[in-house]
Amino acid sequence: MEDPVADLLSRCAAQDRAAFRLLYRETSAKLMGVTLRMLGQRAEAEDALQEVYTRVWLRAGRFDPAKGRGMTWLIAIARNLAIDRLRARAADRGDPADGEVLDRAPDPAPRAETRMIAKGEAGRMADCFATLEADRAAAVRGAYLDGRSYAELAARHGVPLNTMRTWLRRSLLRLKECLDR
Amino acid sequence: MTEPPLTLAEEIDALAAEYVAGVLDPDERAAVEARMKADAAFRAAVEGWEKRLALLNDDYAAAPVSDAIFARVEARLFPKPDRRRRWMGLFSGAVAAVAMAAAVLMLMPAPMQDVAMLASADHSTVYMVQHKGEMLMVTRMEGTAAPAGQVHELWIIPPGGAPQSLGLLAEAHFEVAYPMPAPGWTLAVSMEPEGGSPADGPTGPVLMSHTIDA
Repeated sequence: MEDPVADLLSRCAAQDRAAFRLLYRETSAKLMGVTLRMLGQRAEAEDALQEVYTRVWLRAGRFDPAKGRGMTWLIAIARNLAIDRLRARAADRGDPADGEVLDRAPDPAPRAETRMIAKGEAGRMADCFATLEADRAAAVRGAYLDGRSYAELAARHGVPLNTMRTWLRRSLLRLKECLDR
Repeated sequence: MTEPPLTLAEEIDALAAEYVAGVLDPDERAAVEARMKADAAFRAAVEGWEKRLALLNDDYAAAPVSDAIFARVEARLFPKPDRRRRWMGLFSGAVAAVAMAAAVLMLMPAPMQDVAMLASADHSTVYMVQHKGEMLMVTRMEGTAAPAGQVHELWIIPPGGAPQSLGLLAEAHFEVAYPMPAPGWTLAVSMEPEGGSPADGPTGPVLMSHTIDA
């Protein structure tokens, strides 16, 4: 399968700055979508994006096209950075749950997993999400897409933290069972 | 209804899943990252989860983004080398560009384009600036080099930007790898102490300048 982002990443690994500029042009809007959704504030999202592309250049040599698509790798870097910042933010405040839940925007309508007509991999994900209870599916989405911590998810869904942990772990394992089938 | 407890293998897989989902606290994340380095099977489990949950990535909507962010990334990753190294860099860059331009020339000769004529107020010193292939070429048509202990320095100034040095015009002919200057950009020559301006911009009098016509 063609993967133009992977091609640009391998050129970045060879210190090709023109490819790096092209990579930014082609992928930054998506990665900005990631950091903005997770961090919530534009200035912070932009600052994170700057850090993301710095890491991308420095780590491009570690990208392995045999293990996945270029865009997936880029989004993983953006998500990991945003999660680190969210957790550090919570630690600075000393309370991971308070306020955060109210501040953050409500869930945008789910897309991939509401398209119920199975269509490729996204459709498979939709089918598998449909096997979960609605609130557990929402918790998985809130964790992955919005970077919510266990404490936030527990507060949002009104369940004890340990219950949320059990929900999420079991739901993820059920998703895997369904996706890998 | 109680479900049976997770097996050890499930526990480990669930930890990898929690890491990718992003719900772990900083200490747990650090522990997972350390384990990934040491344990190939665990690393493969994490990669499996990254692939699976990436199916949700469609839900991230693209957001408008500024080019200024990329400029900051570049400034951080590729800082301008100090003055002496910069000249060497320009020189080796110029050699590489000449070699590349020569290779290109063999296939398809690049046309020579006139860029600007730079003249001092009394026209005693005139530099002709041309562009060919990837090279900016400056030839002294009138006058002489700067007096001993001084040098003419060539600058390019983007619209609304700060002057950037392109090199020292010590000889009658000078070439540097540089793209064709766009309309609105200004070329200028200043008088500087030997070795070039000790600052980021020109320090001596600007002898001549020319803004590229639209």
